[in-house]
Amino acid sequence: MTELRHIGRDVARPDGADKVGGRARYISDITRPGMLHGAIKFSEHAHARIVGIDTSRAERLAGVRAVITGDDVPEVRFGFLRDNLALKKGKVRQFRDEIAAVAAIDPDVAREAIDLIDVEYEPLPALFAPEEALADGAVLIHETDAAGRPATSNLVPALCRHSSGDLDAGKRASRFVVEGLYTVPRIQQACMGTAGCIAEFDLNGNLTVTAKTQIPFLAQRDFTNALRALGMTGKSVRVVVPAVGGAFGTGLDTHAYEYISILLAWRTGKPVKILYDRHEEFAYLSPRQSAELFIRQGCDENGKLTFREIEVTQDNGAYVSWGATYPNVMLVAATSLHRVPNIRFDAKIDYTNNTYCQAMRGYGNPEVTWPIESSLDDLAAAAGIDPYQMRLLNCNEPGDLTPMGLDLQTCGLRECLEKTAATLAWERTRSEPRPRGRGVGMAALINVGGGGKIYRSDGSGIILKLDDFGNVNVSYGGVEMGQGLHSALTLMVAEAVGVLPERVIINQTDTATSPWDVGTHASRGAFMAGNAARAAGAKLRDRIFALAEEIYPLEVERNLAALGEGEGLDEFDFRSVTRDGFDLQDGWIFCKDAGEEPWLRVELGRFLRSAHFAKQGGDGTIFTEEAFYEPPTDLPDWEEGYGNMSAAYTFGVQGVEVEVDEDTGEVTILRLVAVTDAGRVLSRQAAEGQLYGGIVQGVGYALYEEVISAEGRILNPGFTDYKIPTAADIAFPIDLQWVETNDPEGPFGAKGLGEAGIVPTAPAIANAIYDAVGVRIRDLPITPEKVVQALAAKVGE
Amino acid sequence: MKVEVGFRLNGYEVRAEVEPHRRLLDVLRDTLGETGTKEGCGEGECGACTVLVDGAAVNSCLFPVCEAAGTAVTTVEGLATASGSLSPLQRAFLDHGGAQCGFCTPGIVMAGVALLAENPNPSDAEIRYALTGNLCRCTGYIQILDAIRTAALVTRGGSSD
Amino acid sequence: MRFEYYQPSTTAEALELAARFPDAEIIAGGTDLMVRLNKTRRRPPALISLRRVRELAHIENGAGLRIGAAVPLRDVAAHPAVTAGYPALVDAIRVFGSPQIRNMATLAGNLCNASPGADCAPPLLIYDAVVELRSAAGVRELTIEDFILGPGATALEAGEIVTAIRLPPLPPDARSMYLRKGRVQMDLAITGVAARLELDGAICVAARIAAGAVAPVPRRLSRTESVVAGAAAGAETWARARAEAQDEISPISDVRASEQYRRHLTGVLVERSLAQLASTSGGGT
Repeated sequence: MTELRHIGRDVARPDGADKVGGRARYISDITRPGMLHGAIKFSEHAHARIVGIDTSRAERLAGVRAVITGDDVPEVRFGFLRDNLALKKGKVRQFRDEIAAVAAIDPDVAREAIDLIDVEYEPLPALFAPEEALADGAVLIHETDAAGRPATSNLVPALCRHSSGDLDAGKRASRFVVEGLYTVPRIQQACMGTAGCIAEFDLNGNLTVTAKTQIPFLAQRDFTNALRALGMTGKSVRVVVPAVGGAFGTGLDTHAYEYISILLAWRTGKPVKILYDRHEEFAYLSPRQSAELFIRQGCDENGKLTFREIEVTQDNGAYVSWGATYPNVMLVAATSLHRVPNIRFDAKIDYTNNTYCQAMRGYGNPEVTWPIESSLDDLAAAAGIDPYQMRLLNCNEPGDLTPMGLDLQTCGLRECLEKTAATLAWERTRSEPRPRGRGVGMAALINVGGGGKIYRSDGSGIILKLDDFGNVNVSYGGVEMGQGLHSALTLMVAEAVGVLPERVIINQTDTATSPWDVGTHASRGAFMAGNAARAAGAKLRDRIFALAEEIYPLEVERNLAALGEGEGLDEFDFRSVTRDGFDLQDGWIFCKDAGEEPWLRVELGRFLRSAHFAKQGGDGTIFTEEAFYEPPTDLPDWEEGYGNMSAAYTFGVQGVEVEVDEDTGEVTILRLVAVTDAGRVLSRQAAEGQLYGGIVQGVGYALYEEVISAEGRILNPGFTDYKIPTAADIAFPIDLQWVETNDPEGPFGAKGLGEAGIVPTAPAIANAIYDAVGVRIRDLPITPEKVVQALAAKVGE
Repeated sequence: MKVEVGFRLNGYEVRAEVEPHRRLLDVLRDTLGETGTKEGCGEGECGACTVLVDGAAVNSCLFPVCEAAGTAVTTVEGLATASGSLSPLQRAFLDHGGAQCGFCTPGIVMAGVALLAENPNPSDAEIRYALTGNLCRCTGYIQILDAIRTAALVTRGGSSD
Repeated sequence: MRFEYYQPSTTAEALELAARFPDAEIIAGGTDLMVRLNKTRRRPPALISLRRVRELAHIENGAGLRIGAAVPLRDVAAHPAVTAGYPALVDAIRVFGSPQIRNMATLAGNLCNASPGADCAPPLLIYDAVVELRSAAGVRELTIEDFILGPGATALEAGEIVTAIRLPPLPPDARSMYLRKGRVQMDLAITGVAARLELDGAICVAARIAAGAVAPVPRRLSRTESVVAGAAAGAETWARARAEAQDEISPISDVRASEQYRRHLTGVLVERSLAQLASTSGGGT
């Protein structure tokens, strides 16, 4: 690869103008001719038998076109373990269970009809705490699995464990050991654009779903299964992704409302849209998982880590989504953040009658980094070692093969630690006298940076199509949901093909035109897209240069003719250049060995038109190339907890300085520094946006956010009572710095960075609080109330 | 029973037959087809529906359309110039990465327009305070602040470049 | 469904409509009412809007202030007589909702909503504000205590409209402020404390303290006030006031905070506001 011309530049996002102009079309903005509006009747009990459903009043309401229940449509089963039904039959297992649905001529009529549906329930004992759900004799939330086999407990059959080294030997070698029970709450992804979809059948029975999704191709598979359940085998499903108003993991699964809109469209023969309002989004869409994490780790007299044990209990709620696989991702940090020789990790996931949970940014990693990095500071304190030195002592290094089998080709963690410490003037800040209530803390992260293999394929395809004018149309199956995938992809395609970024046009993601992609998650979008783009770009260039042997001399002659007699004559033999002698940059074809003379440069569009039209005899050609990139990774064995699940690993450190008001318990962040090894920065604006956004979500997770529920009912289903940070809460500088390690597998050296920001923020803040006032908070969020209580307990000690 | 409501929308007179309980937001989006203004919560917490009524930023989800009668309403669609080029504030959002998913962006841009009209030289604290009614989940607000700060500078300097 | 939206242009017209539609809702800013209407599909038979009633749209500055029921909070906080004389009210409006909300919401509306945590109520309580109510039958005036009866309940009768809030003149050396805490910057109050202090040298000659979100209604903390009144200005008095306030209130636990933390925090805010008022110069700044 020649010198990079576009990578790392600060360019505006390609979808930016439409977004700032109000032109981007989200699911809320899209209508179809003859479209009906769907609404859903949700359960009013956490666990109950459905005795009867009376839809007659709803059916009589003017404007209602269809009312459906689980009893009068075919059973549509879905979910990670296929334990969920689009419309529930027999019983409900959570407050938000879908019981019936309506299609009507407008959303108001649909919701009014929902209120007219009467359901009779027979309440069952309900389980809300993991320890209750796993107790002997507990009522079964699912009596059978998806295949009808009887269940014996509320344990979700998804094992994830790891054991490496010799744990007992590690314990014997320990001079210092600390332990603690940490908790993380359910939190809401809080996408600003709420969930929704439109399902529409054509008259051939083929289905198109316009969906707010991160997994168009897995959704296509799921919806195809739904059609099969409707007896429509052999019909095609097309998933089209509109502008996405934030996703953060909510689009990683298919949802009951999507199947319901398919059922309503099937029943009515009309396009049916379901759009959640904010209340529905909070009350009826799956939040991030809550968990309890017990950790014990030790070190020798020099501070070298000797062992680490982590036990996770994850409250899954009533059904299983992809989010149940958080522990798979927890393994990465549990086994491989810092060098630890002896490790045990055990996770159990249980059904309860709480709202079922799903993915959110970081996917288990913020959860597990919370105890690891908090307890590392406790261990440092026990050993009398500075927490920064403790991290340096145990730092991962490039070339490490970790206990999980992660192959750390590149690792900039040491430099991230050093830069963070230097920026915070760490030693001086911690040793010198300082104002009361002030403290500094840091926390490190490792995250998958080259995909995260939790499915049979972790691959991505791309199609690059050159038009007659030198533009590159890109079809890619990944989803731009705000993160800047298209910013990075634009630059990488420009680089890979040799055109200007403004000549790269990315098509709407659509399973009918985009090649397969597993989904946009695990910080994988730009990594996969870039590697696929490089491969397809190389193919395009090869074909262009091969044809240039024939066309280039003709075009140079045209250049010379246009310049007139006597111009441009020199000794360079432009008529006998071979394919290896050509280059293409910024949309111009030229010879590597020739001078800069303008007549030796051929504009790509003109070349393409010549290739397409000018050649007589029917052998004109056009240029479309595809590539599929499957990263060189393993699908880990989850019962062994072993396998190199990502093609690259991203590292980072966040440092914070806080001020704690010991009277009110309020924590004020004074400044935050985040140093990230993301291999190489592709689009500076997009990379910074991902880090800033992730960090501020991390601040919300650390200090403010919690889905509060009582007996399975969510008590704060709206922005009035569920608080995310406002601009006024982010009244501190965030200093972003980059360590560029140029990963050999990464496209142009890049590793994924979409999730890194949210991962270590909470433990960094908690460590700073500990440094400031000497209390260790182990339960998120760190509310002023918890700080006051901890301070009072400390005084009482 | 419908009533007729007329107001000036982005410089042009509009008239709509509406049910009197409708919100300005519904009429802008559903009746007049201007979908740039977004509904994020329907309770005045998120600011995605922010528009200007006679120059004052309001939540159009809490604004009865009947109250708009006779006023001048400005939405995000009214900011770009006639030739379609972006306003200095929109341009600054683009240049500084102020939009990610973009759903909150029209509302935040409108809050920014209202702020700069009233205070052409705001401090960072004043910008943050002016945005307390606009939630953004993607950006962490940092690049939004950069954009508004830059737009203020450009506007005071009288040049957009 | 019948639903009418009335936009009278005079108080007399508004009162006539209110008499004609006793079940009508009165709308001024609408920032609470519209949320309620958006959430439920049940609608009142009529809405009577005060926004176009000119007589209610301004602030009269005579003996004290008379703030019309249709004046948006933003204009209240920007009025020179308010900023000069009633700083606790300015403090409260500053943390009230968002700029968009303050462009619509009104003082009268905040009181009529009768939320236990209404931010404007504690300042109005320490300023002895009076609610002016009119109906076809005439006019009556109620104190804030007599107007707000319980969560969401007021003394407003059918056919009656709040037309103004009156703020009596203050002694020239009164100092006052409002402190409140939420979870983030835009939030309902966990607790809010308004305090007003008059000093004679080192002695507190008079104190008014009121708090929101600590009882079913925003209320004066009279026992705490009597701890301060007549006592020496200083840390010892403020600490006693803190303890008394924590004891005097009856908060609840909800999603924003627990009862214990509300008690604790209210005490802290009482202590801080008194200390801060005593350390600033007098004269209502």
